[in-house]
Amino acid sequence: MSKRRTSTQVLFIFAIVLILSTLLLGCTNESKEDSASNKESKNMLTIAWPRDIGEMNPHVYNPSQLFAQSMVYESLVSYQDGGELKPQLAESWDISKDGKAYTFHLRQGVKFSDGTSFNADIVKKNFDAILKNVALHSWLGFIPKIDQTKVIDEHTFQLTLTEPYYATIQELAVVRPVRFLGEAGFPKNGDTSKGIEKSVGTGPWVLDEYKADEYATFKRNENYWGELPKVKKIKVKIIPDAETRVLAFEKGDLDLIYGEGVISLDTFKQLESTGNYETSVSEPVATRQLVMNTKKEQLSDVRVRQALQYGFNKQAMVDGITSGVEDKADYILPTNFPYTSNIDAQPIDYNVEKAKALLDEAGWKLPKGKNVREKDGKLLEVELMYDSAESIQKAMAETLQAEWAALGVKLNIVGVELPVQVQRFKGNDFDLNFFSNYGAPYDPHIFVNVVGSEGFGFKEAISSYPKKEELLQQITDVLKSTDEKERQKLYSSILTSLQEQGSIVPISYVKKVAVYQKDVSNFTFPANRDEHPFTGISIE
Amino acid sequence: MGTYIVKRMMAIIPIFLLATLFTFGMMRLSPVDPAEAYLAAAHIQPTEEMLEQKRHEFGLDQPILVQYVNSIIKICQLDFGISYISNKPVWDEVTYRMPATIQLALGSILLAILVSVPLGFLAGIKKNSGIDYFSRFLAFFGASIPSFWLGYLLIFFFSVKLNLFPVEGIGTVQHLVLPSITLAVPLIALYTRLLRASVLENLQEPYVLFARTRGIKESIIMGKHVLRIAISPMITGLGMNLGKLLTGTIIVEAVFSWPGFGRYFIEAIFNRDIPVIQCYVLLAAGLFLISNLIVDLIQMYIDPRISRKGGHSQ
Repeated sequence: MSKRRTSTQVLFIFAIVLILSTLLLGCTNESKEDSASNKESKNMLTIAWPRDIGEMNPHVYNPSQLFAQSMVYESLVSYQDGGELKPQLAESWDISKDGKAYTFHLRQGVKFSDGTSFNADIVKKNFDAILKNVALHSWLGFIPKIDQTKVIDEHTFQLTLTEPYYATIQELAVVRPVRFLGEAGFPKNGDTSKGIEKSVGTGPWVLDEYKADEYATFKRNENYWGELPKVKKIKVKIIPDAETRVLAFEKGDLDLIYGEGVISLDTFKQLESTGNYETSVSEPVATRQLVMNTKKEQLSDVRVRQALQYGFNKQAMVDGITSGVEDKADYILPTNFPYTSNIDAQPIDYNVEKAKALLDEAGWKLPKGKNVREKDGKLLEVELMYDSAESIQKAMAETLQAEWAALGVKLNIVGVELPVQVQRFKGNDFDLNFFSNYGAPYDPHIFVNVVGSEGFGFKEAISSYPKKEELLQQITDVLKSTDEKERQKLYSSILTSLQEQGSIVPISYVKKVAVYQKDVSNFTFPANRDEHPFTGISIE
Repeated sequence: MGTYIVKRMMAIIPIFLLATLFTFGMMRLSPVDPAEAYLAAAHIQPTEEMLEQKRHEFGLDQPILVQYVNSIIKICQLDFGISYISNKPVWDEVTYRMPATIQLALGSILLAILVSVPLGFLAGIKKNSGIDYFSRFLAFFGASIPSFWLGYLLIFFFSVKLNLFPVEGIGTVQHLVLPSITLAVPLIALYTRLLRASVLENLQEPYVLFARTRGIKESIIMGKHVLRIAISPMITGLGMNLGKLLTGTIIVEAVFSWPGFGRYFIEAIFNRDIPVIQCYVLLAAGLFLISNLIVDLIQMYIDPRISRKGGHSQ
C-alpha cells in the first residue's frame, strides 16, 4: 500500500514541479524583457489597435487601417479644425472659373522615405493607378468626374473634371485612396489595386517591422519635409479585445489608447476616475442619428415622427448610456463642420404631453384598457434595427422601447450584424434604424449626397416628404455650386428642411476618447476623423 | 488494421463533399452580399457600380452551380482561393496562423494531461478523500467558469497585479502559460471526472480481485492494469477535443491577442469572406476526422480487445 502511495505521489509531484518550473522560466524571461523595454520607452510610444494594420497600400480599403495609412502616406491638402483646408504636399492650388480645372503647385524639396523625389510625374502616376479602378472609388464624388490628369512641369500638376464639383479639395484630404506611393512601391504593371511592392511614402513615419496580427513598428522618416515627430518609434500592438487593451494599459504595457469605441465609455470613465492617467475627449466627429422610414404607413405622418421625438428624454438617455462622454445632439450634423452652423430648425425637447397630443391629433387613439394605440384597426407598432455588436445602439434601442411604450407605441427591437444592417437599410427594408454620418473631411457633402442618391436608404426613407423634389434639387445644385455664399445658403436650407421633416433624428454627437499614461504629453485629436494623432506627442 | 485505416481515410471524401455543400449552401442563404460586406467593413457607402465590380471580382456573378463546381475543382488542387478582404491566397493566410493555434492547443492539452491524469487517478483510488473533494471542486469550477472570464481573471492577477506574465502576445514560453491554463481548465475538469469514474468502475472488475488474490503488488495492479484500461475513455475525450481545440480557441485567442487562426476565422465570418470560411470548415472537418482516427488507433494499441472487436466488425 505504501509503495502505491509513493509511486502516485511521485507522479503528482513530478507534474506540479514541471508546471511550476515552466512558470518560473516565464518569470525570469519576462523581467529581462521588462528592463530592455524600459530603455526604449522614452523614444517609443506603444499603442494598441483592434485590427491588424493591413498591407499598407495607399490605394485600397480593406484590410489596411486608415490611421496607419495616414502615418506613411500624405495627401495634397490637409483638413484642419473647422473644415479649413491647408497645404500639405501641394503648397497652393488654383481653381479655374468654370470650376473644372484644378492646378496644384507642389511643395518643393519633398522626398519619399527611400530618398527619391516627390514631383508631378509621381502625382500623375498615382492618380492614374487610382483611375484604373474608377468604379471601386466611385463613392468619392470627384473620382468618376476626373477627365484628365496632366503634368505641367516638375512641380505643377493639373486635374480636369468633366463637371464642376466643389468638394474636390475636401475629398483630396481623405486618407484613401488619393495618397502618394513612391516609384519603388509600384508593381510592374502599375496596378496597385492587387498589391504593392513596398510601402514608400512621404509621411512622417516609415513601417519598420511588421508581424501580421501581432504588432507593427514605425520609425521616424528622417527624410521628412515637415517637423520631425518627437518620439523615434511607434509600436502598434494588435489587441482585438477591449478588456485586454485596458488590462495591458493598466499594467503599463501601453502608453496610449485612443479612438472610437476602442474601450467602453464606462471603462473610460472608470480609468479617468482613478486619477492615475490622463484622459481626453475629442470634439464631435459625427452624429448618431435615428432614421425613420416614411414609407412605413405609421411613420408617414410628420406628427407621428415628431411625437416620437418629443416622447423620449434625449438628455437622460445620452447621459446614462454614454456616461456623459457624448453630448445630446440638437442638429443632424455636428456644428463644427463646414456649412453646418446656420440651421433654423428648432431642437425638440422632451415633452410627453405634447407627444400624446400629436399622436391623438394624427388619429392614433389609445383604446380603453389597451396599451397600444390604434387607428383604423391598425396598431401603432414599429421595429427598430440596431447593430448587435454595438452596445450603445442596443442600450438606446431598449431605452426608446420603454419610453415609447409609455406613449402607447409598441417598439420591437431587433439586433443584427453590421453587414445585415447596412443591407437592410439600403434595401429600404426597415422601419427605424440607427445611422452615423461620415465625419471630417467627408461631411456635409457626402452625407447630403447619400441622402439624395438612390440605393443608400435615405432617399427611399424620406419619400413621403412634401417638399422632396425641391430638397433633392438643392442637393444636386449644392455639389456643383462654385459660389461660396450660394453653397452656404443651400446647405442651410437642406439641413433645416431635413430636420424639420423629422425623419432623421439627431441623438448624440459621437466623440473619440483617449487615455494615456502621465508621462505622455501633447496629445491632440486630429481634425480629420481618420488621421493619426502621433506627430506632436512626446514622452517625458 | 491496414484496410481499416484505408476505409476510414476513404470515408473522409464524402464527408468533405458534404461539408463543402453545407458551407456553400449556408453562405448563400445568408442575406448578406459579400461584396456589400467588404465595402461595409471599409466604412464606405457602396455605389451600385462598386458592388458590381466587386461581385465580378469575387466570381459571384456566375451561376451558383458554376461557382460551386469551380470551388470544388480548386479545392482538389489545394487552392482555396483568394481572401476577399486581404486579397491574399487563403491557404497562405491559414498556414501562417496555424502554428500559433497548434502551439496553444498542444500547450493546453499537455497541461490538461499532466494535471488530470494524476488527479483523476488519485481521486478514483482514494474516493471521498481530500484529493477527491478537491478534484470535484476543480471539475465544478472548470466546467462552469466561462473561458473569457477566467482569462481576464488570470490576466488581472498574474499579469497586472503580480507582473509574472505578459498580458498578451506570443513569442516566449511565458506568453503561452496563461492562455494554456485558460484553455486547459475546462479540459482538466472533464478529464479528471472521466478518469475518476473509469478508475472506480475498474476497481469493481473481477480482474482486480483476481490480481490481488494472486498476490500481485498493489502498485502494479493500479499502475499497469487499472490505469491502463481506465484511461481509455479519457483518450476518446482527448481525440474529440483535439479537433475542437484547434478550431475552438477563438475566445481565448481574442482575450490573449493570440495571433491564431480562430481570430482570423471570426473576422472572416463578420466580413462574409467566403473562401476563408470554406477553407476553415474543411480544415475543421479534416481535423476532427483525423484526430478521431488517431484516437481509435491509440485505443486499439492500449486495449487489444477493441482491436479484436474492431477486426470482427470490419
